Amino acid sequence: MQDATMRDSKAVTRSRMSVPKGFVTVTVSTIALFLLSTAIAPSSVSQGALLGMLPFAAVLAIVGLGQMLVVQQGGIDLSIPGAVSLAIVVVSRVPNGDDSVLVPAIFLAVLFAIAAGLVNGLLVGRLGLNSIIATLGTNALLFGAVLGISGGSPRRTTDLLASIAGGVSAGIPNSVFFAIGTLVVVALLLKRTASGRRFEATGANPNTALVAGLRVKLQQTAAYVWAQLLFCLAGILLAGITAQPTAFQGNSYLLPAVAVVVLGGTSLLGGRGFPISTVVAALFLSQLDQFVLALGVPYAVRTLLQAAALAAGVAVYTIDWAAVRQRFSRRQPAQVA
Amino acid sequence: MKNRKIGAALALSVSVVMLALAGCSSTSGSTGGTEGGPLAGAPDWCGSKEITLGLLDGFGGNSWRLITTAAGADEVAKCPSVTNYEYADGQGDTQKSIADIQGMVAKGVDALVVFPDAGQAMLPALRSAYEAGVVTVPYRVNPGGKDGVDYNAWIGADFTTDGANWGNWIKTNFPDGGNILFLSGPKGNSQGADELAGMKTVLDDSYVFVGETPFDPTNWDPALTQQVLTAAIAKNPKIDVIVSDFGPSLVGALPEFKKSGRSIPSLVTSDGNVLGCFWEDNKAANPDFKLMTVATGNDNVRLAVQYAVAVATGGVVPSSTTFDAPAFEDSVSGTPNPVECERDLPGDIFLSAEMSPADQAALLK
Repeated sequence: MQDATMRDSKAVTRSRMSVPKGFVTVTVSTIALFLLSTAIAPSSVSQGALLGMLPFAAVLAIVGLGQMLVVQQGGIDLSIPGAVSLAIVVVSRVPNGDDSVLVPAIFLAVLFAIAAGLVNGLLVGRLGLNSIIATLGTNALLFGAVLGISGGSPRRTTDLLASIAGGVSAGIPNSVFFAIGTLVVVALLLKRTASGRRFEATGANPNTALVAGLRVKLQQTAAYVWAQLLFCLAGILLAGITAQPTAFQGNSYLLPAVAVVVLGGTSLLGGRGFPISTVVAALFLSQLDQFVLALGVPYAVRTLLQAAALAAGVAVYTIDWAAVRQRFSRRQPAQVA
Repeated sequence: MKNRKIGAALALSVSVVMLALAGCSSTSGSTGGTEGGPLAGAPDWCGSKEITLGLLDGFGGNSWRLITTAAGADEVAKCPSVTNYEYADGQGDTQKSIADIQGMVAKGVDALVVFPDAGQAMLPALRSAYEAGVVTVPYRVNPGGKDGVDYNAWIGADFTTDGANWGNWIKTNFPDGGNILFLSGPKGNSQGADELAGMKTVLDDSYVFVGETPFDPTNWDPALTQQVLTAAIAKNPKIDVIVSDFGPSLVGALPEFKKSGRSIPSLVTSDGNVLGCFWEDNKAANPDFKLMTVATGNDNVRLAVQYAVAVATGGVVPSSTTFDAPAFEDSVSGTPNPVECERDLPGDIFLSAEMSPADQAALLK
């Protein structure tokens, strides 16, 4: 009887709030990675190394959350490099070291982000362009703005921004608080509000959503605007963290941003989003970087290791493991006979 | 990132200073030049034959390049025989850079000074310009090929000298040996390898290079530099000297030492206003933070222009085709200069350049 009750309660838990497969996978992998780091390259989990790694993990997490929103709508936003770089350039070049101009500069960066989001949203959501093509085009436009504003070289970040984004409070890098804040906002909006549910429903099946009376195009456009706002936030933080950024600082976030979304378990076909898993995946990738750096292996091996980890992570979701198991179990009896 | 600053540590060689001085003195009264000889009232590399000169950049989009280009134009302006000066920016696009060369040759320029960012890929275009009778002078980045066969001369940078300068400083300040962390740009770039070779000529086995051989690749990217440095700090309990061929990119990364509760160690690198100011701001809190810089090579272009103009106008051709970078700042000895910081001017100007800080700042406005 006890068994039955337990089974029942388990079933109920599973159906009401099942733990997503992506979350389990990515969390277990991350814990395993940290254990491995402690065992093999202890320097990569020292306090200094963690304090150095976390800000970049935070930026990647925020960029990843933005990408996740777009991916949920079955799209993809390849304008990340331009978006992040533009935010960096605006908040460093416009104030040119003057703290008092920082806030207006941030507003300007946000305006640019909304404009870029609307362009993407209109092209993809309204006009139905392929998201890869449309956002690549926007990326080129954004880089045009980057070069137009900076002439290719942003200035040193203002001291205020450097101390906010690059600073440490209570032993934790400030950027981590920004990432957690973003995660909470995104997760709550997505999972605990009616509009969030509509957003996910639209992504899961736009046709059904349309029939159900949901404003599909609006949801898709909104995804691109929200994404750009998050890229903008990430860019502002990155400007403060690096202190002396380049005009092309966003380039290195294009692939990792898609990677964390996929590793977090969000399907590239759209639908349900997994914000927490995405953030954990960002932590995983960043620690992986730090781990292979600490191993001291040659640069080539480092790149290979990262690629292998990514491939393994993606394989977890894309390969139909049940089919693979079935195939093996079918073969075995034949061998015995 | 390669374009961010291809060479991080070069400057006016003594010979060029002397040439410039000779130029100044000749303005105050030298004999008039005949056709093909030096022009009266101009530096001796400026002959009397009138020419059109084109300056070509492979990538012109950062402050170092802006200042370098302006330095090139400034040098051209010293010679009245150059009646027409044109500039083209390849914008990081090899195809466009090649088309720029061909376009200038078609327009009939007499001399070309080229920053061949794409390296070997630029060689055929350079060769065809040279074969078309245009005085062709690539500078800084090695395009391969040979002087007098594929172009007139390559005015390159001698990064080994930088390495030797750094090595000498390290030897003086750490006579008993020490741990050195060497950061350079993309994996496999020849600049870093040359710099290491230069250091190795001075430093013996008591100096240990921690980290990857020949250098830890940072792609000259501030974010990657920060990550690489973080790992290195955690891994190596003792780092005495950091050597980097792109000093300003370390400004965001050096505070990592503070996070680990350690003093910033000695830094041996190339100059930049932002770095000088960073040193002034942080020296008190970091007792081990000493700074030595070699001049960054904005003025490499000046020698290239002098060479091209001299050959094309019939002036006196500079005797050297390489830049040996002199030391610039030294926080310990104060020679040749103490650390400099122009707090009111932008961080990304280079106080080692011949162009005045105010003029550089005006360029970046």
